[in-house]
Amino acid sequence: MEIKPIVELKNLSKTIGKKKIIDQLDLSLYPGQITGFLGPNGAGKTTTIRMMAGLMKPTTGDVIIDGLSLRSNFELGISKMGAIVENPELYKFMSGYKNLVHFARMHHNVTKKRIDEVIRQVGMEKRIHEKVSTYSLGMRQRLGLAQALLNNPKFLILDEPTNGLDPAGIREFRTYLRKIAEEDGVSVLVSSHLLSEIELMCDRIAVIQNGKLVAIREVNAIEESQYYIEVQPVDKARSLLSDKGIIVENYQDGLLINVEQSAIPTIVEQLVKQNIAIYAVSHHRKTLEEQFLEMTGGGQVVESNSK
Amino acid sequence: MLNLIRNEWMKLWHKKATWVMVILLIAMIIGLVGLTKWMDRNTETPPWEQSITEELTMVKQQLTASDLSNETKSNLEEQQMLLQYRLDERVAPISGQGFEGFMMESYGMSSIITLLTVIVAAGIVASEFSQGTIKMLLARPVRRWKILTSKFLTVVAFALFLTVISYVVSLIMGMIFYDALGGSLLEVVNGQVIEESYWLKSIWLNVLALGDVIITASFAFAIGTVFRSSSLAIGIAIFLMFTGTQFSFLLRNYEVAKYILFSHTFTQIETGGSFIEGISTPFSVAVLVVYFAFFLAISYWTFTRRDVTA
Repeated sequence: MEIKPIVELKNLSKTIGKKKIIDQLDLSLYPGQITGFLGPNGAGKTTTIRMMAGLMKPTTGDVIIDGLSLRSNFELGISKMGAIVENPELYKFMSGYKNLVHFARMHHNVTKKRIDEVIRQVGMEKRIHEKVSTYSLGMRQRLGLAQALLNNPKFLILDEPTNGLDPAGIREFRTYLRKIAEEDGVSVLVSSHLLSEIELMCDRIAVIQNGKLVAIREVNAIEESQYYIEVQPVDKARSLLSDKGIIVENYQDGLLINVEQSAIPTIVEQLVKQNIAIYAVSHHRKTLEEQFLEMTGGGQVVESNSK
Repeated sequence: MLNLIRNEWMKLWHKKATWVMVILLIAMIIGLVGLTKWMDRNTETPPWEQSITEELTMVKQQLTASDLSNETKSNLEEQQMLLQYRLDERVAPISGQGFEGFMMESYGMSSIITLLTVIVAAGIVASEFSQGTIKMLLARPVRRWKILTSKFLTVVAFALFLTVISYVVSLIMGMIFYDALGGSLLEVVNGQVIEESYWLKSIWLNVLALGDVIITASFAFAIGTVFRSSSLAIGIAIFLMFTGTQFSFLLRNYEVAKYILFSHTFTQIETGGSFIEGISTPFSVAVLVVYFAFFLAISYWTFTRRDVTA
């Protein structure tokens, strides 16, 4: 049985002035899946997210959330969504709790009990009654997540969610996202410029560039079985291995070989027999950064820290 | 909708500025009463019969002029009838030095209420943009027109609240500092002189003044919504509040002055008409309503269509 997507972007385009910001974007997001949303500066990530959150109207095309079109069924469609768009800007002059009450009133069926539950989930019990102006960025980030979760969304948009969280907070956050994705089947879209963060968090990544989707890949699928061996002398080892039909490429001080894990002991044994010194053997993964640069053509500026 | 208004009301009262405004309003009423009392301490008022007789002579004199328009003539005749009635039946007018007169003047605080309401109206949409909270507010399952409506109704509720506060504080101050001097309010209805309740009149004047406050507030609301800048909206609205009337006064002899917003107020319906000749009450009301509808229309038009990029 095919799984029905929670969110579908259908032929989505946005033109501002004469500039096409988003060009016929099609994208489906599935329940239980965490999708990383990447792209160089100015690729149209924020615009896409704003259209999904109902903050911008698409020029053409539509956003479908849980089968409901935002064009024709806005209120019901948006009610399935929770979002943090860029920094979680909250009412600083009110307490965290009042902020949550405020947003809860804008949804149907968000009870007091649910508010308390969300506060507990994001670990804010102790300071929830203090004014938001006294919160650190990390605390605001937690409160931002809390307001996005109030309505038990089926679809969660997180724009730069770990910005300002401490390492423990990031880890906690990651575990929590996994949990709601797996247990509640929530579909999560995470946009971040921290590629290593995305790599740890996401099941798949969608990359856009110049308003077009350039790649969409499962994070696990791209993990090829490659091993890195640091050997001396390199040339001798290289010719020896390629003679055996193994694909070899030079990498840093050693070689990258495409083999199964089970073949490693034999290879090591043969190299040792040939008096080749081995300094390291390790599993090699292409970092997301390398893949990202590959997909976006390399030359492009990667999303930097500056906003 | 009720929940949305509760939200706006909650945000409003969590801002210190709002409390400062209310305290300022109360302080100003108390201050003004004190000042008036102090200035009036040595004033001797002549008996009312004397001033009424003087007034009657003046009205009679005016009636002898030959170039009176029908409207002016009937106005003067009504006045004559009232004054004569007071003298004949020995009915004293309401004195400005008494409690009754003081309450009748309580609507005069509306200029300060306008000022304070304008500040709120200008900021209620604009501040969401400047704080960046607009993203949080609009990414909700609520249509934008509902959010804007809740904001406007909150402004109206705030103006109403200030008017009630002003009336109640005036009432308390009046009871403390003024004595009831009696006197009654007379009016000609269908050729008959009847007595009016000064209570009802004072409340009605406050209601009309509230109407004027809301018109000006809707202007500030529109500017704040369209330009997303509360300081700009406050600036323009207050500038026009002070100069607009003079501006249309300068143009009073031209036809165009009739269609300028500042030539009309709701309060002038009770207090003696516009400074422009030949403006009827229904016409004034129509002009005010059209401007009001226009201000709201542009607010809704921009707010519901705008892409949020803040």
